[in-house]
Amino acid sequence: MIEAKKSDSLSALYLRGISWWLGRNFKEINIMPFEAKPGHSVLMLCNHFSWWESFLSNYVAVKSIKRRWHLMMHHDHALKYTYLRYVGMFSIIRGARQSDSSLTYAARLLDDSRNLVMMCPQGEIRSNHETHIEIQKGTYKLIQQIKGPCQVVYNCTLIDYFESLKPRAYVHLFDCGVAGEFTFDELKQRVNDYHQQALLNQINMKH
Amino acid sequence: MKSEVCSLSIKSTFAYLEFSAADFRLATHHSKLTTKVIRNKKNIFINRIIHYYVKWIVARQFHEVLLNDVEIDKSKSVLLVANHFSFWDGLILYCVTEKLLKKRYHVMVEEKTVHMLHYLKFAGAFSVTKKSRDIIESLDYAARLLDDPQNLVLIFPQGKLFSNYVDDVRFDKGVFRIMQKAQGKYQLLFASTFIQYFKHKKSTATVYLKRDNNNYPNIAGLKEAYQQHYSSSKLLQTQFDI
Repeated sequence: MIEAKKSDSLSALYLRGISWWLGRNFKEINIMPFEAKPGHSVLMLCNHFSWWESFLSNYVAVKSIKRRWHLMMHHDHALKYTYLRYVGMFSIIRGARQSDSSLTYAARLLDDSRNLVMMCPQGEIRSNHETHIEIQKGTYKLIQQIKGPCQVVYNCTLIDYFESLKPRAYVHLFDCGVAGEFTFDELKQRVNDYHQQALLNQINMKH
Repeated sequence: MKSEVCSLSIKSTFAYLEFSAADFRLATHHSKLTTKVIRNKKNIFINRIIHYYVKWIVARQFHEVLLNDVEIDKSKSVLLVANHFSFWDGLILYCVTEKLLKKRYHVMVEEKTVHMLHYLKFAGAFSVTKKSRDIIESLDYAARLLDDPQNLVLIFPQGKLFSNYVDDVRFDKGVFRIMQKAQGKYQLLFASTFIQYFKHKKSTATVYLKRDNNNYPNIAGLKEAYQQHYSSSKLLQTQFDI
């Protein structure tokens, strides 16, 4: 696996770059009001509709949740973008024993309350119109290994155009509870309930 | 024959002169009201520029526009009913019309939009003002356009912009008036468009088209048929092998 070698100064520079890049490609990024629990690290579970959500989650992690962003990336992709390890990327090999070491590494990162780890529990790019979020077992394996207080947050990003020429990103954030206080089935249920809630909120979104 | 035509025109002139002053004021007032409807305009030069501009801007904004093949009757005009989630859907369907349906594109657009973007009338847009008397004029104009088998009229029955994630498509009654007025002269085509990113930087627009040959006795029947098409298209959208 590729471990992160996060540099805060490089991360700040990278964030400036992606903020400019997001500004060029999106009309606006609307982050729904959300307060992270103080003194807790954050495990952010995202709906994986594109590679855009890794940029968006970095933006949200720093601007809204105010944590140090880390990204769990598939090993094959990580090999292409190894430079991202300096801004918090680490790799995972799916369906192999090596994935255990990546999950343990992520759990260790989450022991520090300043950190945030973003992962996509679906494991692959799925449609943005998906109504059910499939959560792989690895997500819960990771949660079980976290020792420090960690808040699990579901991030549902939905794209709409409405009147504008460029797309608008709507980031819906939900608190799924503190690690260790729910079972795997409860987590699956909560994420799917929140996903339905996000879709409903999006339909009723004022524009 | 000539004398008959002539006498008819003279008679109609006299009939017109017999109008009272009140009728005249009413007629003037009515004409003022009807002039509010902005109609599509033909100008070979500008039409061509707009045509290439729309194609260029859609190609620039989207990774690709995916659509399914649909067979249409060339001897009949097309009434295209679509979901309205963005400014782009009209332009996407312009490209679909040009590529697949090969008809003269017309679209009913809210008046303020045509005012804001003057060039839209050269791309086949004509205006509709909701909650005003002009709406009847616009709907009748749309029905008249369907008399010509070369024409296509695009209607967004939702009446305003909704999210691309809506499950239930709202239907305004206007589309049914067009269908009643132009009965037998057009073929009905349903379109539902969805946006998705897949693995690309730019989004992909997927247009699901379906021809519908049924006659609907009321707006509820039409809404149900469109809803069925929309829901099945949305389901297909989630089953893409990315």
